[in-house]
Amino acid sequence: MDPQLREVAQLFERFKAAFVRKDFNTCATLLTQLKVLLTKFPSLPPSFQPTPNASEELTIARQIYEHAVVLSVKIEDQEAFERDFSQLKPYYTDTCNIIPPSPEEYPILGLNLLRLLVQNRIAEFHTELELLPPTALENPCIKHAVELEQSFMEGAYNRIFNARQAVPHETYVYFMDLLAKTVRDEIAGCSEKAYDYLTTNDAQKMFMFSSDQELSQYISEEHPEWEIRDGCVFFQKAKESQPWKEIPSFQLINQTLSYARELERIV
Amino acid sequence: MAAAAVSSASGLLAMLTEEQAELKLHALVNLNSLVHLFWPEISTSVPTIESLYEDEEFDQRQLAALVVSKVFYYLGELNDALSYALGAGPLFDVSEDTDYAHTLLAKALDEYAAVRSRPVKPSDEDAKIDPRLEAIVERMLDKCISDGKYQQAMGMAVECRRLDKLEEAITNCDNINSALSYCINLSHQFVNHREYRCEVLRCLVKIYQQLPHPDYLSICQCLMFLHDPETVANILKKLLFGSKEDALLAFQIAFDLVENENQAFLLSVRNILAPTPSVNPEAPADAPDVVGGDVPMVDESSNEPNGSAEVDPAEVLQAERLSKIRGILSGETPIKLTLQFLYSHNRSDLLILKTIKQSVEMRNSVCHSATICANAIMHAGTTVDTFLRENLDWLSRATNWAKFSATAGLGVIHKGHLQQGRSLMAPYLPQSGGVGAGSPYSEGGALYALGLIHANHGEGIKQFLRESLRNTTAEVIQHGACLGLGLAALGTADEQIYDDIKNVLYGDSAVAGEAAGIGMGLLMAGTGSEKANEMLSYAHDTQHEKIIRGLSLGTALTVYGREEDADTLIEQMTRDQDPILRYGGMYALGLAYRGTANNKAIHQLLHFAVSDVSDDVRRTAVLALGFVLYSEPEQTPRIVSLLSESYNPHVRYGAAMAVGISCAGTGLSEAISLLEPLTSDVVDFVRQGALIAMAMVMIQTNEACDSRVGAFRRQLEKIILDKHEDAMSKMGAILASGILDAGGRNVTIRLLSKNKHDRLTAVIGLAVFSQFWYWYPLIYFLSLTFSPTAFVGLNYDLKVPKFDFMSHAKPSLFDYPKASTPQATTTAVRQPTAILSTFAKAKARAAKKEAEKEKAASGGGSAEKVASPSEGAAKTAEKPEKDKEKESDAMQVDNPAEKKPEPEPTFQILMNPARVVPSQEKYIKFLEGCRYVPVKLAPSGFVLLRDLQPSEPEVFTLTDAPAAVSSNPSATVPASQSQQASSAMAVDEEPLPPQPFEYSP
Repeated sequence: MDPQLREVAQLFERFKAAFVRKDFNTCATLLTQLKVLLTKFPSLPPSFQPTPNASEELTIARQIYEHAVVLSVKIEDQEAFERDFSQLKPYYTDTCNIIPPSPEEYPILGLNLLRLLVQNRIAEFHTELELLPPTALENPCIKHAVELEQSFMEGAYNRIFNARQAVPHETYVYFMDLLAKTVRDEIAGCSEKAYDYLTTNDAQKMFMFSSDQELSQYISEEHPEWEIRDGCVFFQKAKESQPWKEIPSFQLINQTLSYARELERIV
Repeated sequence: MAAAAVSSASGLLAMLTEEQAELKLHALVNLNSLVHLFWPEISTSVPTIESLYEDEEFDQRQLAALVVSKVFYYLGELNDALSYALGAGPLFDVSEDTDYAHTLLAKALDEYAAVRSRPVKPSDEDAKIDPRLEAIVERMLDKCISDGKYQQAMGMAVECRRLDKLEEAITNCDNINSALSYCINLSHQFVNHREYRCEVLRCLVKIYQQLPHPDYLSICQCLMFLHDPETVANILKKLLFGSKEDALLAFQIAFDLVENENQAFLLSVRNILAPTPSVNPEAPADAPDVVGGDVPMVDESSNEPNGSAEVDPAEVLQAERLSKIRGILSGETPIKLTLQFLYSHNRSDLLILKTIKQSVEMRNSVCHSATICANAIMHAGTTVDTFLRENLDWLSRATNWAKFSATAGLGVIHKGHLQQGRSLMAPYLPQSGGVGAGSPYSEGGALYALGLIHANHGEGIKQFLRESLRNTTAEVIQHGACLGLGLAALGTADEQIYDDIKNVLYGDSAVAGEAAGIGMGLLMAGTGSEKANEMLSYAHDTQHEKIIRGLSLGTALTVYGREEDADTLIEQMTRDQDPILRYGGMYALGLAYRGTANNKAIHQLLHFAVSDVSDDVRRTAVLALGFVLYSEPEQTPRIVSLLSESYNPHVRYGAAMAVGISCAGTGLSEAISLLEPLTSDVVDFVRQGALIAMAMVMIQTNEACDSRVGAFRRQLEKIILDKHEDAMSKMGAILASGILDAGGRNVTIRLLSKNKHDRLTAVIGLAVFSQFWYWYPLIYFLSLTFSPTAFVGLNYDLKVPKFDFMSHAKPSLFDYPKASTPQATTTAVRQPTAILSTFAKAKARAAKKEAEKEKAASGGGSAEKVASPSEGAAKTAEKPEKDKEKESDAMQVDNPAEKKPEPEPTFQILMNPARVVPSQEKYIKFLEGCRYVPVKLAPSGFVLLRDLQPSEPEVFTLTDAPAAVSSNPSATVPASQSQQASSAMAVDEEPLPPQPFEYSP
């Protein structure tokens, strides 16, 4: 076995041990070392040189990045998640005819879908979905995310709140919590447009808070421009802050006139 | 294991945001190699990479810059791409063979050239240029030079204003002479900035002078452009004192310089060469002797030791050579030779004039004087005035200004007749003592005529014209004198003459003032003198529109060829309230940027052409386009094609004239196609302009070259014969027939000399000619543009030896147009009768049969008939066939081709001096093993011949002609002349006995 590969494997073992111990700091430092070591393998993307150890190297690299993704979820770092996931992705998309598919593939893809849903990046969500083969949609992890998105679009927000109980993988919990907040933001955005004011009771029900405190806390944190008075929530201010877009009539008139003048000049 | 390919760069992009520098580096390296595939993806992350480039601590900033640069390149943002590529430093590989590298290099060069050519003070200019940019360009230039791509290197160096590199490229080149001539071409065609062009030329001259065998011909051309008469004179002196061959070369240089017609320059060269002023008046007296007594001259040069014992033979030789070169530089020798050529080769067709004369109504003075003009133009420079002599009665109908024009026309006919000019015009000139017999109109016309005779060579006549101007108070005479003085002293900026003319101007008489304005402009042409402001301010003061117009044209003439120098004046004129001054501004624009095809000037002119409120200004703006574009005639039809379809007739007229001016003498097919519809425009003056322009384009093109020439001639005839045609277009048609056959069919309109220099006289002449819209006598300025299409080989004694050379093309292609046959009278009667097509067909068949019979009988006929079978057929079957042609256009003659019995020879031997039309020049070949070898391989113009057998006696042609010319033309016309002139019209009645040509007052 190649000494470099062996070094990576040893380091990776230590990483896994620390990961099991939930010693995430050690994990992070080990991970960066691993990543730097990985850059030395020519068989990895994007070069894909067919070296003799290619399949081992690819496999271990994939495992490392899979762990990195999970680690980022554990330490609740969305940026790191995105970064690691996009580095991992070529292993899924481009290596299928070199090494066998990974068992972790669908859970991680599902996780990514969930993340996109959380960040309300619906367009990218669908792009990702389109890239998956039809059979993948049957996978519970993917199916979960797809169903959530459907509920989200339909406005069946309570289903989303309930789905938290039925996660297919323990790592999903983190995103499910975040998703609840995304849903609330969505509801808030809609209510702003739809109502002039709401009674606190209705608002509490609508935002699916269990108490008034939670509601007022949410409002003060996220929407300080809303006003709570006489047991009602007023959205007036927010509406006023959106001015009407005026039609630039003068500019248009000027333009048309100058066209007419130019036309006259044409010989 | 199947090869895998990456499907996305997102992984690498994600890696860029990692903490570790190694990871970022890894990502960058990979991105750099994949950027051509994934630039769309990478482009979204460009800010990340940019921030890497700006990160001072990151040690691979240059790599980041390179990646960003490539992405920008793929995005089409070349400016950004270039600035990042510069940031990439050495990583940006100049020699890389990729689109990216090529594109960015081109961009870098453009950028660099743009920065270098920006007109800023030299002090802060250097500071402005990015040293990295400069480094790239220099790397490029060095690479080109080391790879042997010298032309590229030269072009780039010129573009980037790096004269040091230009010099390096030229000196490293294997063939320095060709490199230099390439550079000269380059500087004239592509260097728009006048000062810079001078710099380039100066640099070239410097290189030339360092060569062991310098090409003096080219050097002197450059020096002339740089206006450095001293160096030219020194070179000439050196050559003159050298061997006989060197002297030949010196003569050749002198001829080439004369061809560019820069009077002021030639004068200074001549004065430096021969500083004694007493020589000048003597020179004209010498000249005839040199020609007349050729025997002693030959003796002197071949048998030097036999010369006088006291005088050093070398000195005698030098003195003789000096006087020869003075003769050339003063224009006497070339003009005399031209005159001889035009006289001896005159092939004008008097029958055309006769037809015109008969069809023009007597009372219509416009057409009457147009006919006189046409005659003058047809015989310009040939000294053949047979037509006038034959029609004295008819001529005497010209009164007042028509008489002025008619008299001035004599000047055109005798153009270049320097020696006898004054005696020829004597009967009409104002008599110094008391009141002359002639009317002021003929006197004024005579002064104008003198100016035309001496145009641009007025040393001898200036004094006389000045005196005439001072001695008169009649405004008509002043008018003629001002024009004459302007012509004679063209571009010399003579202060005394200027003051004389100014006095006339301040008299504030409309007629004289107009001519004074033009005269001042002619005098100051191309000097960019301060006098322009004086003229402008007077134009603001005066009330007379005529004077304003004269002055504004005059002001325009002063800035001829000044390019950027003239911008302030142009700006001032084009912004004026007065449309007449704006109109002058258009001329100023056109003349200042003459022949440069300068984009800015074109842009401005087009703007005025569509936006000015005055029709006159618009017309002139379009017309001036012709002047800007004459160096690239192919461009003009394209640029004005839209304007020629304008609703405004003035713009259409301008478009026609613009094409006429810029494509003059080219016979360009596109130009003809553009003008053709305009010749049948609904507005009369547009037709007039189009006909004149068409004639200018078609001059010296015959029917064999372009069949439309024949159609055009027939159209002209039809217009002239048509009783119901407007006077305006009739006049246009008459003038057009004159221009088509100008100068006895031996001249063309040429605005560029053969060395691609602008012919000052010609351009100025054409500009003033285009004024005929307001003032018909100015038509005669057209004669200044005529340049003989001749090859004249000269030996050491500046005489024309017998010498043959070859034109490797069918003779008929460049032949003279066939002479017309007298049938005008019959057609005039027969035209109205309707003829059924069947009858016409039957007639045609009969004609054909008859013609064939004739053909068979004559058995092929002589060589002349072979050359033009259709002509032969036309002659044999004369009447019927002509009728058919006339009366039914449907009956197109399609037989000449099939009747051709023998193929035409594919070459032709020409005898020195010979007519060589411009389009023929590329077929001219010199024969091997000839006695004479040309010094310069020029297909036309004056060419010095080196004699390989100097011991044998030489045979000359053109020796008898001068005798005929120099004999007093007001006496009997020599028999030879009348024979020659009337050979084309042998059928015509005998010429009347010539009489002294005088007008009854």
